[in-house]
Parts: sequence; C-alpha cells; structure tokens
Amino acid sequence: MVVGIKDAAKLFVISIMVCCAVLVCTMFLNFNMDIAAIKDEITSETVMIFYNAQVSVAKVVSAVSGGCLLITSIIMLIFYIKHYVDIHKKELGILKALGYSNLKIAKNFWIFGISVFIGAVIGFCMAFIIMPLFYEIQNEDKILPEISINFHMELFGYFVIVPTFVFALLSIMFAYFRLKEPVLFLLKDNLQVAAKSGKHKKDKESKEKDCLFTDDLKSSTLKSRKTLTFFIIFASFCFSSMTQMSFSMTDLSSEMFAVMIILIGLVLAFTTLFLAITTVVNSNTKTIAMMRVFGYSQKECCHAILGGYRFISYIGFVIGTIYQYVLLRIAVDIIFKDISNVPEYKFDVPAMFISLISFIVIYEIIMYCYSERIKKISIKEVMLEY
Amino acid sequence: MIEAKEIEKYYGSKESRFKVLKGVSLKIEDGDFAVILGASGSGKSTFLNVLSGLEYADKGTVSYDGMDITKISDDKLTEFRRENIAFIFQQYYLLPNMNVDKNVKMGADLAGNKDYKSIIAAVGLGEKLNKYPSELSGGEQQRVSVARALAKKPKVLFLDEPTGALDEQTGRQVLDYICRLKKEHGFTIIMVTHNQNIAEMANTVIKMNSGKISEVYINNIQKNVYEIGW
Repeated sequence: MVVGIKDAAKLFVISIMVCCAVLVCTMFLNFNMDIAAIKDEITSETVMIFYNAQVSVAKVVSAVSGGCLLITSIIMLIFYIKHYVDIHKKELGILKALGYSNLKIAKNFWIFGISVFIGAVIGFCMAFIIMPLFYEIQNEDKILPEISINFHMELFGYFVIVPTFVFALLSIMFAYFRLKEPVLFLLKDNLQVAAKSGKHKKDKESKEKDCLFTDDLKSSTLKSRKTLTFFIIFASFCFSSMTQMSFSMTDLSSEMFAVMIILIGLVLAFTTLFLAITTVVNSNTKTIAMMRVFGYSQKECCHAILGGYRFISYIGFVIGTIYQYVLLRIAVDIIFKDISNVPEYKFDVPAMFISLISFIVIYEIIMYCYSERIKKISIKEVMLEY
Repeated sequence: MIEAKEIEKYYGSKESRFKVLKGVSLKIEDGDFAVILGASGSGKSTFLNVLSGLEYADKGTVSYDGMDITKISDDKLTEFRRENIAFIFQQYYLLPNMNVDKNVKMGADLAGNKDYKSIIAAVGLGEKLNKYPSELSGGEQQRVSVARALAKKPKVLFLDEPTGALDEQTGRQVLDYICRLKKEHGFTIIMVTHNQNIAEMANTVIKMNSGKISEVYINNIQKNVYEIGW
C-alpha cells in the first residue's frame, strides 16, 4: 500500500475544516429550506422583510464561510499530497521503476477522501445537534411562524457524499499529475533541486547582497515554500477576523453566533498554523541539524527558519481586521438596511486591541514551543537519514 | 590539548543495548594531524562524534585544554563547537537550496570571516560561487564542504571519511587542499578513515578495533598526498 490510513489521519486539519464548513452550511441551508416551507403562511410585509433577511443571511454565511473553507481545504489537500510525494518520492520512484503505472500508484491516494468523509459526517451530525437551539435563536422574537426541523437528504448528498468523492478524485488526479515526473527525478533529490535552482539562478545572482547567512536562509525559507506562507497568513487572518467579528456579533446578532464564529476562527487558525509550522520545521530538520553541528545557537536556528513568518502573520492579522470590518459594514448597510432595531455598527477598537494582544501572546507561545522542538532535533539521527 | 579519558558509549536500550566504545583514552596535542584508523563497526566514527561534542559519552571525559565538554549543557556545547570546531563529512551535508557562496558563508559568519571568498578561491571554486550543490560534482561538493569548514577558522578540524565518496584523483585533491590550508592556519586535524594509505600522511595514527584503541603510533616521516598509495 503506497498510502495508508495513518497518512490520511495526518490530514486531520482538512477533517476539521470540512467539519466546520459542513456544520455552518448544513445549519443555515437546512434552516433556509425549512423556512421556505412556511413562506406561504407569511402574510405581513414586515414579516416578509424579516424572512427575506434571514434567507439572505443564510446564503451569505454559507457562501462566504463554506466557500472560503472549501477553497482552503482544496489548497491544503493539494499541498499535503505534494508534500507527501516529495517525502516519499524515493519509494514512489522505485514503484515507477518497477513498472507500476502513474495511474495505478495514484489510485491509492483515494484514501485521502476518508479525511473529508469523517469531517463532513461529524459536521453534519453536529449541525443537527445544535439545530434546535439555532432555530430558536433565529426566531427568538417569534416573528416567523413555528419552524420545525426537517432532514433534507439532498443536503447530506451535497455536504457529505459529494465532497468525499470530489476530494478522493482530486487526490487521485493531483497525485497522478505529480507522479508524471521522470523516474530519476523521483529517485534523486538533487536533480529536482538542480532543475529548480537553474530556473532562478539569474535572479539570485543579480540580487546577491552582503547579508548574514541566517538572513539569507530566512528569505530562502520564505521563498521556497509559498504555500506555507499563504497558510500562515490565512491562520492569522482567521484569528483576527473571526475573533473581532465575534465581538461585534454579540451586539449585532446573538451570543450564540459570537461563540460559533470565535470557535470556528480559533479552530481554523490553530489547525492551519499547526500544519504550516510543523511542515516548515520538518522540511528544515537537516538544515537545522547542520547549523547546530557548526555551532549556531537554538535562537539563531529559530530566527533563520521561523523568524520570517512573524511579519507575514502580522500582515494576515491586518488583512483579517480589514476584512471583518468591510464584511460587517456591508452586512449592516446592505443586508439589514430594511430591518429596524439593528444596532449601529462601528469599528470596535478595544476588540481589535484585545485580539491583537491575544494574537501576539499566542503566536509567541507557539513559536516558543516550536523552538523547543527545534532544540530536541537529534543531530545524529538527522545525519544518519541524509 | 585534547584529552579523552575512559570513554564509554552505548547504543540501543534494554536487550539490544550494546557497547560501542569500551573505555577509550587518548591525548592529541595542539596542531597535530591525527588519523583514527579502523574497519567498519570499530567505533571510530562514534569516537569522533564524542570527541567533537556531537554526542555525549555515557562514561568518561573529553577535555579541551582542561575544560571537560562532557559535563556542559547542550547550549554550551553548541557554543563550544561554534568557537572551536569544524567538520567535514563523507556525505558533505551541504544545504541543497543554498549556492556555494552561501554554504561557505554558513561557516564564515560564525567566525566573523568576511574574507571567506578567498578560501573558496583557494579550493578552486572561485568561478562557481553561484552554483548549487546539485550542479557540482562530488569532488566539488566536498571542496565546498572543506571551504565551509575552514572559513570558520576552527582550532580543531574533524573529518569523517572525507574521501570515502570520491575517486582517487579527486580524493587526493581534496586532501591536498586540506593539508595546504593546515600548514597555513596551523589547526589540529582529527580524521577518521578506513584507508590505511591516508594514515601515512598523519603525524599520529590511532588504530581502533571493536570499540577499543588497539595501537597508537607516530609517523616519523609524514608523506604528502601524492606519495601515498590509494
């Protein structure tokens, strides 16, 4: 077996993301479908406005959070498969050299669909557990007639069956694409590095600066894995936008919304950051080991490998802050414009500062944990793996 | 002076635990060229790792001018390596995403050596500063590794089978570079090899067998790299 269940289990980050996406989308769209059934019972124009606002909110929330999480999950899946092929390219190269076709090897990657299935099932079930409370909050002023919870089989199909098959197929297709490289490229690491380095050589020559080795390594680490840079921006973006949005949600909507948003934000931020930083450290263990052999301190190793991501994460925080403000501004000004008693929305400065301070503290604690992990890298074990 | 006293080192645990170094003692004078000679599995590389502070000994002491490095913390040991030691390995261990210049700079920065490019030129790679390890031959990669080690201006240079992966001609070239630079800078060399001919270049020869030193002798006449067999 080229890919095992254990490898799929490492994709728990995707399971968590899919779980969040399915939870939010199922809850809102199930609500939408259920209130559509009572539309005919609405006679008052005010109630109809409230009804339309509820439908719009559900669509926007499902599209924004579901879409955003779906795209991130796809990027993560592709990133993970690429990383998996990079790590196991020798084994995969041997299989190809023995005569296994690309498709035959790639078919084994369907197993990554299981991570999506698990996340989707959990998210779907959780949605139905939370739904009674959610329905009650959505209609707590009893503006709409009584709404009963119904199970919609099509939603199960859209959010559990379809994603599982699509992600399994996507895994096979991407693995097939990655395996198209010549056998020698898979068997010998150096050939790939040669091909990549040759491509950018002229740029690098022209930009040669007289800076420290650790700074060179910092910028090289950042440039070599752009997907990880995206994930770190995304993680801080999630933290920033979701925590600040949850503060505003307490006034604009309900505490339940606030709690839901902050939970999803924190889960997304931490899982993404965990995946990204772990990959950064794992893919640089040999470099770190060599630096330690030559006498670079733990602090210098961390500065060179992880230091570049600090500024990037602050950029993510700023983007998240702007995003949540713009999103809520649009929601209040456009979606709720016809609804009375909607509180006035202003940029929440204290919330931003609380969120920023929490972000700095949490980020530095995480970096400290990873620097301790770097300290524990066994020089000898790494050298034996070379 | 480097002094190892009754070094013991174990690998594995419980039933699979076995003794790799069985009470090894040795003295190496400053500026010496010592070769540790032994067959595969004799414990010579483990001894080199312990001597250089890459690994802790389970028993015994290793001292540099009286300072015992087996009792200091990992951070202090890293600092010690930074100030005193450089390595050249059989597998080169170059950083694949860094070009020749940056790989050597890795060593040079630790010693604040701004003139490291002259060392790259001295090992004959002045024209290949922007090449990546994958674009170099084995011999060239090993010369980068030599330049990286020497750019650090070490007091002691440890070499673990530096010519093990090279053909005769390239192997001789690499050793020639090292010896020439040793004459120039006067550092101590401790080299592990299984090649008996290379031992003829050394001042002190330490023979190891089954985790013990079986013989230590001084070469009265040190041959140069082109006088020895291969």
